[in-house]
Amino acid sequence: MMTKNVSKLKEHSIAEFFKKNRHMLGLYGKLRSLTTIIHEFVANSIDACEEAGILPEIEVKIVKIEPNHFEVHVIDNGPGMDEKSLGKALGQLLVGSKFHRLIQMRGQQGIGASGCILFSQITTGKPTKVINGHKGKTVYMEIGINIEKNTPIITNKKHINKEFKGLAISAEFKEVDYQDSKQNALEYLRRIAIANPHVQIKFLDPNNKLYVFERTTDEIPKKPIEIKAHIKSVDTDTLITNAKYSTAKTVINYIKETYDRVGDKFLKDLQKTLGKEINLKMKRKELDWDKAEKIIKAIQKIKTIAPRTDSIIPISEEHLKASIINILKPETLYVLTRKPTTYKGGYPFQVEVAISYGGKSGRKLKDKTIKSEIMRFANRTPLLFDQGACAITRAVNSIDWKRYHIRDFDNEPITIIVNLSSVHIPYTNTGKQAVADEQEIIDEIKLALMTAGRAISHHISKKMKHGLKLEKKRMFERYSYEVARALQTLTGKKEKELLPKLKEIILKRLELEDEEDSTKQEKENKKEELEEDIIDEEEQTNKKTPKITKNKDKKLNDFFKN
Amino acid sequence: MKNEKSIKKLEELGQKTLDMINRMEQPYFELPVRSLSNTFFDEKSKTIKMGNKMSKRYFLNTKHTRKYAQTISIAAELKKIIKEQATISIRDLYYALKHTLKNSKENSFENQGESDPIIEDLEASLGLLREELNLAASTKGVISGKLKIKDGKDTIDLSKMGSGGWGVPSNVEPDTIEIKDLDADFVLFIEKDAVWKRFNEDKFWKKHNCIIITGKGQPSRAERRLAQRLNKEFNLPIFSLMDADPWGFYIYSVIKRGSISLSYSEEKLATPDTKYIGLTISDIDKYKIPPEVFMKLSPEDLKRIKDMKNYPWFKNKLWQKELNLMKTKNVKLELEALSRKRIRFITEEYLPDKIRNKDFLP
Repeated sequence: MMTKNVSKLKEHSIAEFFKKNRHMLGLYGKLRSLTTIIHEFVANSIDACEEAGILPEIEVKIVKIEPNHFEVHVIDNGPGMDEKSLGKALGQLLVGSKFHRLIQMRGQQGIGASGCILFSQITTGKPTKVINGHKGKTVYMEIGINIEKNTPIITNKKHINKEFKGLAISAEFKEVDYQDSKQNALEYLRRIAIANPHVQIKFLDPNNKLYVFERTTDEIPKKPIEIKAHIKSVDTDTLITNAKYSTAKTVINYIKETYDRVGDKFLKDLQKTLGKEINLKMKRKELDWDKAEKIIKAIQKIKTIAPRTDSIIPISEEHLKASIINILKPETLYVLTRKPTTYKGGYPFQVEVAISYGGKSGRKLKDKTIKSEIMRFANRTPLLFDQGACAITRAVNSIDWKRYHIRDFDNEPITIIVNLSSVHIPYTNTGKQAVADEQEIIDEIKLALMTAGRAISHHISKKMKHGLKLEKKRMFERYSYEVARALQTLTGKKEKELLPKLKEIILKRLELEDEEDSTKQEKENKKEELEEDIIDEEEQTNKKTPKITKNKDKKLNDFFKN
Repeated sequence: MKNEKSIKKLEELGQKTLDMINRMEQPYFELPVRSLSNTFFDEKSKTIKMGNKMSKRYFLNTKHTRKYAQTISIAAELKKIIKEQATISIRDLYYALKHTLKNSKENSFENQGESDPIIEDLEASLGLLREELNLAASTKGVISGKLKIKDGKDTIDLSKMGSGGWGVPSNVEPDTIEIKDLDADFVLFIEKDAVWKRFNEDKFWKKHNCIIITGKGQPSRAERRLAQRLNKEFNLPIFSLMDADPWGFYIYSVIKRGSISLSYSEEKLATPDTKYIGLTISDIDKYKIPPEVFMKLSPEDLKRIKDMKNYPWFKNKLWQKELNLMKTKNVKLELEALSRKRIRFITEEYLPDKIRNKDFLP
């Protein structure tokens, strides 16, 4: 049995390095830093609750001590953590149970919370206060980081005689700021609530205003299944790096154990393609850059089966709909989940979109004008920054919204929600706020949006027409008072008697216009139907789902179909 | 009561509207088109006239609704004013009608730019002059001469008006202003007030038995109407005395032929028999006017000359010659320039000479 436990904790890199490269933790800019801190703590809390099968209830409080000096409190109702793990998880960088595992990850790579503790320590010199309620015991402690050794410093540990289960973190930060902006902690939490309908969040802002986001479902999302990297998605560097951590004796065994979709036939074909130049049965230590490169090249030429897709758990149409209705209260809403597919030949991903129109959709500015809003999510985590660099933004903006009766996209009360779920989100940089331009991903998003757009357009045009009709009627009525008054002077006929007649004439006229309109609309509908047929054809040719190869192994085929 | 005719026409307008409403049809107004495209020069009457094009203004056409309501509101208000026997200015009318619409923040009228054109629409469609609708324009004209005016209960002797002359009122319709005891051979219509004062001080009207009138620049309707009445009712020739420049020629043509914007009322305002007595460029040589008083033509002047050469009433040999002469010499001349010769040259030599020699342009 060669199944290796790929979930070993890997520790490397120094706290010093991150002290000097703060931006790698997403801590650049005062506003962005504070939002990132909230994200790290809250994401961890949600993960911990989910893993323990608990419906998350998170409380967040931000207190302003003085300009650019804030205190952050986050409390969850999770299982807490055993003390050893807690110290390591918060007081040591680049440690986390998720590193090296290709699991659909909500958050970062485990640098998150401890990065924040480091930031707190650097800017205030103070440790982070923690209350850990785990397995019946409630313990208070203060956690800092030994920067040279990259180890936790735990002080003031004491047991507390209070019943509490979960984790409460309290930390002070300087060089941060909280403003009323679309990238602040409030917006982050609002979006978390939209993408995670099973989570309940309470937020007390620095002005002491309380925001509550109720959960809209009691279903905890299933745990995504851990998978190994698909063999086709590996590049030369990864092949070499991972080889270092493998315990296999030979290269062929290393490949077989570490990567997904590697069967005996595949290895046979691979060896054939490589020929006499490279022998896969060579010792693992003999693998160098040149050889690795040649192996990778050869791998691309060999057919493989598409990967499992139960490694992705989307939000689901039903839940997303409920949470959007709860928070945005739209007039018109359409939610759509595409089927899972892959990019770069091997990484599974799935796109969910929602178009929310009217109600609280869109963003209201200070001068009361309304602008459209794009909410980007990667594995249910809101991406608030680097909007311009993100492939999701690009996909949304490449749609011709006029086609769906959204005349002026920038200024309409519309929120576009896109959630990209994948075991491996291709970010543009270590900031992890923007998705890289992968064509398959962009295409999937576009197709989803086009379908949703079409569904919504009928509602919108109906609403628009209705709105225009009402406006017209009101205008006619306004002026009919003027006409009645003038006629009374000119003819002696009383205003009171004239007004109802004028009203009737107005209604008659509007009805007539409706009739004319509906014959016009019928013609337009016929035109649209023809157009849709053309779009569907386009979709068929664009869809790049890898076809199941002629694998004669029936069992595998059946498994995949499920 | 004065202007009963007007009240009747306004009530007819209202009744037509009421009939349409009683038939459950949306009411509309039919109005003459008052643009250049619907204006022409009538050879018979030799005036500018309005054509027959009509347009409909509907109550329930979103582009017309506001204007429709404004039109009928103005019509109603005019009836009220006439019944009260008051006269108001068009600005007063605007304020009288301005209010906030029910259930809205909009106003019935935002500015006079909305109400003034509708007044003209009503004048045109009802065939009534503003004055017949009890609307007064501000006037500035003055007149002196041997004649008496009966204005209401007052009789005014225009030969005893002193250095100021009699201010022409805005309504000079026969049923308001009666002209009596006229003793004159012609009317001199002078462009500028300063020149008119010269003629008044020198008692030109007494010495030469005429009536002198000015509109102080571009004349208002009242002055033109009065000149027309003197011409039509008393057969007095009208002589125009303007600066020798395109603007002067233009004012002359308005007096003689009418104005395009008011083409619907030119029958009562234009005096086709008017003659142009001076000042002309040809006068330079005739009266040896020295070059130091000449002025150069501006680019607008040149454009104007080009346009005027195409006006039907300037398409005769004499005017074409005059216009070409102005263009070639590139020169224009003000009446006051004649003072260069001597102060009273214009009243004692120039004008009498011109009349004696019948030296006019048609």
